[in-house]
Amino acid sequence: MVPANGDEQTGRKTRSPEACSDPYLRCAFNGAALTALGVSRSALLAHSPQGCEYLVNAAFAAQECDYMETMTLCTKLCVDEIVHGGEDILARTIREVKELPIEALFVISACGPEIVGDDIAAVCETLQAEMKFRLVPIASPGFRGSQYDGIDIALDTILKQLVDGTVKRIPGSICLIAPHANANPTWPADLAWVKQVLMRLNIPVISTLTYRTPLSDIINSASAETCLVLSHDAGQKAADYLSASFGLDQVCKGIPLPIGMTNTQRWLSALGERFDTLKAADEMVAEGERMVTTTCRRKWPMARFLYRTPAAIVADATIGIPLVRFVTEEMEMTPKFIALYSGNRSVRDLLGGELKSLGLDPKIVYGTDVYTTRQGLREVVPRVVFGSTIERHAADGLGIPYVVEVVKMMRQFRMINREYFGYTGILNLFEAVQNEWTMAWRSREKRYRAKW
Amino acid sequence: METDSIVFHGTLQQLLEKVETGEMVPKLQASHAPMCKFFTAYYVISGIRHVVPLVHGPTGCPLYMSDFVRTRECCEIRGVPLEPTACTTLDESNVIYGGEGKLLDAAKEAYAKYHPDLIVILSCCCSGIIGDDVESIAREAEKQVGCRVLALKSEGFGGDFRSGYEDAFKLIMDLMEPPKTTMKGTINILGARWGPSPTEFNWDLDEIERLLSAIGIKVNAVIAGGCTVEQIRHAREVELNASWCYDWGQKLGDLIQQRFGVPYSRTGQPYGPEATREWLLGVATPLGMEKEASAVIERETREVEPDLAYLRQALSGKTAIIEISEFPGPIRALSLARMVEEFGAHPVVINVHPYTIKERMPSIKYILETGVNPEIILTKGLFKLGSFRSSKETEDELEAIVSGYDNPIFFGNSGRFPPCPVVNLTLMNPAFQPQYGYKGIRNIAALVRQALEYKDLPRSRLFKGMLYGAGKR
Repeated sequence: MVPANGDEQTGRKTRSPEACSDPYLRCAFNGAALTALGVSRSALLAHSPQGCEYLVNAAFAAQECDYMETMTLCTKLCVDEIVHGGEDILARTIREVKELPIEALFVISACGPEIVGDDIAAVCETLQAEMKFRLVPIASPGFRGSQYDGIDIALDTILKQLVDGTVKRIPGSICLIAPHANANPTWPADLAWVKQVLMRLNIPVISTLTYRTPLSDIINSASAETCLVLSHDAGQKAADYLSASFGLDQVCKGIPLPIGMTNTQRWLSALGERFDTLKAADEMVAEGERMVTTTCRRKWPMARFLYRTPAAIVADATIGIPLVRFVTEEMEMTPKFIALYSGNRSVRDLLGGELKSLGLDPKIVYGTDVYTTRQGLREVVPRVVFGSTIERHAADGLGIPYVVEVVKMMRQFRMINREYFGYTGILNLFEAVQNEWTMAWRSREKRYRAKW
Repeated sequence: METDSIVFHGTLQQLLEKVETGEMVPKLQASHAPMCKFFTAYYVISGIRHVVPLVHGPTGCPLYMSDFVRTRECCEIRGVPLEPTACTTLDESNVIYGGEGKLLDAAKEAYAKYHPDLIVILSCCCSGIIGDDVESIAREAEKQVGCRVLALKSEGFGGDFRSGYEDAFKLIMDLMEPPKTTMKGTINILGARWGPSPTEFNWDLDEIERLLSAIGIKVNAVIAGGCTVEQIRHAREVELNASWCYDWGQKLGDLIQQRFGVPYSRTGQPYGPEATREWLLGVATPLGMEKEASAVIERETREVEPDLAYLRQALSGKTAIIEISEFPGPIRALSLARMVEEFGAHPVVINVHPYTIKERMPSIKYILETGVNPEIILTKGLFKLGSFRSSKETEDELEAIVSGYDNPIFFGNSGRFPPCPVVNLTLMNPAFQPQYGYKGIRNIAALVRQALEYKDLPRSRLFKGMLYGAGKR
């Protein structure tokens, strides 16, 4: 097992291993936008040059925003504002949109204005009295880190600025954190599954940080008794803050997210135990496993033929870590290479625990980039890769027959969101494997033309 | 025809004058953000094969490019291999202490990893503001690696989208070596970008190349639409440069002409028979191949004569309302205005933003020089906050404008629902591409035929509701 950034394998001595990277993750500015756009009846003002607006657009799509409800704006900073400061144009733009029918305007700043020292907090404070809506400044320049850092920065700012610590605690309730730090391209389905489970267990959700979340829910977050982080990549800092400041108890901490039978059972049981609803949780497990088993009996997933096939997992930690057990136990493959986009201590500990428990010793790369992934694939030559469209192309020429696209996929379009969490999630993943299996059988060349 | 919602009604020439004198401010509202200089510079550079665009910035800047341009557009849509989008991943510490050392390491590392024919360092806002000297680093790196290393100051705040294209094209000129020979009957096509395969709308370029080949004209390179560094090195050996789109090619064409003396054929987009004839003769005549070109033009025209006859009959006496939007885009829309006039229709172009006039000033002036000066209408909705393409105001205004004309026909895309036949010219529908040349005439005739023959079929309540909200029927 090699916990490295891929550099230990190359043997380079003089170069900084991080000097040239082909990254998977967007920047902190994007993560902050992704978080702010999850607040309903709000607008987002990017205090940035115009190109950064495209990172906002990507976040807009990922949060499934509706342009009839949510507006994004940009100060479009040019040389003048970089030289002389952009606070005036920021103030002017905020005043320009003061009639928007919203409850909050999130002002997020990019690299340029942060380097030149624009004080977005001061501008917002000065203008707040003129506005009918709340101004929420978030300093989130791209150079502060990855999109996950941006999510943490934005959650921290939003919670510190908006949460009312005096609200009354609602027993047995919960606050959901960072559902959007999830590389399933249709992650809202994962969140929907979680909410459905919580409803069945009679656990009221006070707020979701963030997805179509009303401002009032965020303000009331401290009334939750517990919190639940829905990502292994971001959100832990918010949970720690809510715990330290308002006493929210974090549930399911240190357990892989519910992908696959064992992970789902473990996760549901932890919820059941914490909220004294173990019987209901057990029923859900039994019912879910029965549904998956009978469905498989009727549909015959081809995944069963991939017994002990060497596999690679290239994903975020949120999907990637739970997949390890699912791929190993349910699909009976053997993970030989695991490359995760992130690699903080808790990610390493969680994956390490899973591998130890399963008795696996694959090659591991934390904080991978596209080059490192390709080198890893070249070295290990797995027969199946669970990854993204990038790996489909990065694996070109390496003799890898199957690339199952489960994250960041561009080849397939989903009009209907599909979850990976829970029992239907298992079937969705089997379906992805099945479709790739069919594709791999397809002849690469036409041998002859039909006569008609 | 005047209504309260109209803020300008005149000719293209008059609109240009209002923009030039400052009477109409060429500024987009806060909700509209075109691409920045870095994006467009990247588009051009990534159009060279085996290049490493080395982005000197945080990860956000290259990620849009690597997801959208590299993986989706290049790999998925055009089937070309995965190429790198390298990045120095600037962090807070680099912003404080500078990132030049890291950049030099990155250039060397990029060469070792990817074995490219060319490395182009692209600076971003961060590296530009902190003053990293990317050009010196490029010179230093070039001494230490086995390929050319160029640098482009492409900070997002440093210019509008147009400046990125133009600066990148200028940079490419540094790769062009003094000619050792002359490639007879050979041209370069200028102004392409996006990815290491042909330019974004391959079909139009394919049609141009088909017609050139029929005449006997060879193409050395499509710059920068999938060309190689080797082709760029020999770019000065051609007899002539031409552009696939006047708007994007002219700057590079003019610069090469001024600096290296290679003539440039100034022609518009080949929409319709006359513009196509002009384009082909504009290239063939300087090469001494006018006779061959005339023969091709005659043959091709004969083959599309039924379509030409149909277009003359279908469009004669009509008012063609042409909308500028993302696709087909402003310059194509003006080319369409010329084409419909040729078929006897009266063109009215709506909602060309003053910003577009400013950004595309040389092309607009050229179009006016060629005698194209259509009627222009700008409406209030154009200047409102919000998404223009799905703006209820502009849709309502369009419907009102169309109702004010006799015998109207709309040229735009199917996202609009005016009470008249709609010719769906979106470039997002590959079923009717190309729009250039003689194949384009066939396709446009087919689109006009569909619009007129099926004008009474119901439009989609679903799509209209999606775009403009419930209640619009």
